[in-house]
Amino acid sequence: MIKTAHIGVGISGQEGIQAVLASDYSFSQFKFLQRLLLVHGRWSYLRMCKFLCYFFYKNFAFTMVHFWFGFFCGFSAQTVYDQYFITLYNIVYTSLPVLAMGVFDQDVTEQRSMEYPKLYEPGQLNLLFNKREFFICIAQGIYTSVLLFFIPYGVFADAAQLADYQSFAVTVATSLVIVVSVQIGLDTGFWTAINHFFIWGSLAVYFAILFAMHSDGLFQMFPNQFRFVGNAQNTLAQPTVWLTITLTTVVCIMPVVAFRFLKLDLKPELSDTVRYTQLVRKKQRAQHRCMRRVGRAGSRRSGYAFSHQEGFGELIMSGKNMRLSSLALSSFAARSSSSWIETLRKKKGGDSNASSPSGGADKPLKG
Amino acid sequence: MAAASSCAELAGRNKPDNTAFTQQRLPAWQPLLSAGTALPLFFCAGLACLALGLGLHFSSATIQRFAGPVCLYYQLSNYYQNHRRYGVSRDDRQLSGDASGLSSPATECSPFRTDPQGLPIAPCGAIANSLFNDTFTLYHLANGTFHPVPLDNRGISWWTDSNIKFSNPELVNGSLEAAFKGTAKPLNWPQAAYMLDTGNPNNTGFINEDFIVWMRTAALPTFRKLYRRVREGNFSSGLPQGTYCLDITYNYPVLSFQGTKKVIFSTVSWMGGKNPFLGIVYLVFGSACILTGFVMLAVHIKFQKQNQMDVE
Repeated sequence: MIKTAHIGVGISGQEGIQAVLASDYSFSQFKFLQRLLLVHGRWSYLRMCKFLCYFFYKNFAFTMVHFWFGFFCGFSAQTVYDQYFITLYNIVYTSLPVLAMGVFDQDVTEQRSMEYPKLYEPGQLNLLFNKREFFICIAQGIYTSVLLFFIPYGVFADAAQLADYQSFAVTVATSLVIVVSVQIGLDTGFWTAINHFFIWGSLAVYFAILFAMHSDGLFQMFPNQFRFVGNAQNTLAQPTVWLTITLTTVVCIMPVVAFRFLKLDLKPELSDTVRYTQLVRKKQRAQHRCMRRVGRAGSRRSGYAFSHQEGFGELIMSGKNMRLSSLALSSFAARSSSSWIETLRKKKGGDSNASSPSGGADKPLKG
Repeated sequence: MAAASSCAELAGRNKPDNTAFTQQRLPAWQPLLSAGTALPLFFCAGLACLALGLGLHFSSATIQRFAGPVCLYYQLSNYYQNHRRYGVSRDDRQLSGDASGLSSPATECSPFRTDPQGLPIAPCGAIANSLFNDTFTLYHLANGTFHPVPLDNRGISWWTDSNIKFSNPELVNGSLEAAFKGTAKPLNWPQAAYMLDTGNPNNTGFINEDFIVWMRTAALPTFRKLYRRVREGNFSSGLPQGTYCLDITYNYPVLSFQGTKKVIFSTVSWMGGKNPFLGIVYLVFGSACILTGFVMLAVHIKFQKQNQMDVE
C-alpha cells in the first residue's frame, strides 16, 4: 500500500522498520503526519509551483527574443546575445535566486499552516500550477520577450551613435537580466538573508562577468573568442542605453504588479488573508507590548494555549478593552464586529469543519 | 534506571538539528502587496516616466539643425550585416596584428579566406570584402565659388576598436607593405589594405578608421555609419545656411539586392542624435501608468466599501 500510494508514509516503531524502508517519508508517531501534510507538504507544493512558473517564464523571455530578431536578420539564426551570455544565463545569472525561492519560500508560518488546514486545499484542487497557470507564465514570457526586443529595436533603428550589433546585444542582455531579477524579486514572498544575497549577488556577478569578458586582457589572449572587447565600457556609458533598459524593465514589470495587486484586492486567497491578519496581529502585539510595559508583573499566561475555546484574541481585536490607535487596526476591528472567523467562513462559503484557532489536533485525519 | 537512560539516549539519537536554518525559522521579510505600496508606486513611476518622456521629447525636438559639430553618415537599407553567416566571417586574431593570422586566416572566413592563387587574404572574410567604398566631398557656395568643406576622418571609430581590437602587424624594415608580403588583397577591393589613406600612416592598414567603422557590424538591416565630421575651420560651429554641393563617387553597388544608399547630416546630442522613439514611449507609458493607478484606486475604494457593507 505504501508503494502504490502517491506518497507513502511509514511509521518506525516497535513493529520494526519494514514500513520505513518502503516509504517516501517516515517518522515515529502518527501525529507527525499532520505536520508533514499541512506544513511541509503544502510548502513543498507552493515552492514547486512558483519555481516552475518562474522557470518557464524566464526561459521564454530569453529565447523568444531570437524569434523576433529572426524577422530582422534574414532568419539566419543569428543570436541576439553574446555566446558566453547564452551559456552563463541559466547557470550563473538566474539559477541561484530561483533556487533560493524554491528552498526557502513560505506563504504563511508553520503555526498558521497548522491552524488553518483549509490552506491545504489549493494542493488538492491543483490550483497553483495547471494548464491555465502554465499558459499565463508562457504568455508573460512572450510579452516580456516582445518588449525586450522591440524597445531596443525602436531606439536603435533611429540612433546613429548606437547602431551596431554588439551594443544591441549588450543592451538586450542587460535588460533581460534586470527584468528577470526584478521578477524573481516580485515572486519571492519570503526574503531571507540568503535570498537577498543570491538576488543582488547574481546581478553583481552579471556585471562583473560582463566587464571581465569585454576587457582587453581576455581579448589579447583569445581574440576570436572574446570579440566583444570594449563593448561594456562604451555601450553602458551611453545614457540612451540606460534609459532603454529602465523603460524595458518598467514596462515589463508594472502590468504584473497591477495584476497581482488587483487579484489580491478583489479575490484574495485564504493564504493572503491569513498573511494579512498575521501582519495586523504583529503590529498590534507590538503596540500592546508598548502599552503594557508599565503594567503588572506576574504571570502573562492567558491560558489561551490550554483552552479549546477561542481565547482572547477576538476580544482584543474588537477594541472593547483598549483603544486601537492605528487606522489600519481600527478599520480592521470595525470590519470584524462579529467573530472574524465567522466572517472568513462566510466569505469563503466554507464547510462545517472550518478551522478553529486551537488547531486541528482533534480532527479525524484521513489515513 | 539503565533502561530509562538508554531510552532517553535513543530518543535523542535521531533528533534533527534545531537551528533556524534546518527548522525553517530563518528571519525573513515578508512583503505584502497592499494598496499602500502598489498605488504610490504606480503614481510615482507614472510621474517619473512622464517627466523623463517630456525631457527626452523636448531635447530631441530642439536639436538645432546643423549647429555644433555636424556629422556625416551614410545609410544603407536592406543590407543584412546582422546575417549570421556574414557576421562570423571575420578573423579578429588577424585584425589584431597577429602574424600567424596573416599566414593562416581563420576558417570562418571562407570562401574569402584565400585568393584563387592560394595566398591568404588580409583582411579575410565577407565583412572586410564588402567594405563600403563610396566617397563624398562637400562644397559650400560662397562668393560665387564652391569651397570644399574640410571633413575630419579622425575619431570616427571607438577608441577601444582602433587601439586594441585592430592593430597593424609588425612593420618589416619600417614598411607596412613588407609586413603584408605573402598575402593578397580582398577580392572586391581595388587596392590592398596598406594602400588605404596612404597620406596618414596612422590610418592605413587594419587601423584605417573607415575600415574599422565598417567592421563594427550593424544590428538591423537599415543602418547608418559615421563617415566624417565637420569640425574644422569656419565650419567648427556648424554649417551655416547656404547652398552646398555634395560630390559622390559612386562605387558601391546596391541595386542588385534592392538596397538603397542615403547620406545623412546630423548633429549629435547627449542622446546620440534625433531619437524621438524613447521620448514618445516614455510619455505613453507614463500616462498609462497614471491612468492605471487611478483605475486601481477606484477599484480599491469601491471594493473596500463593498467589503465593509458585506460585513455589516
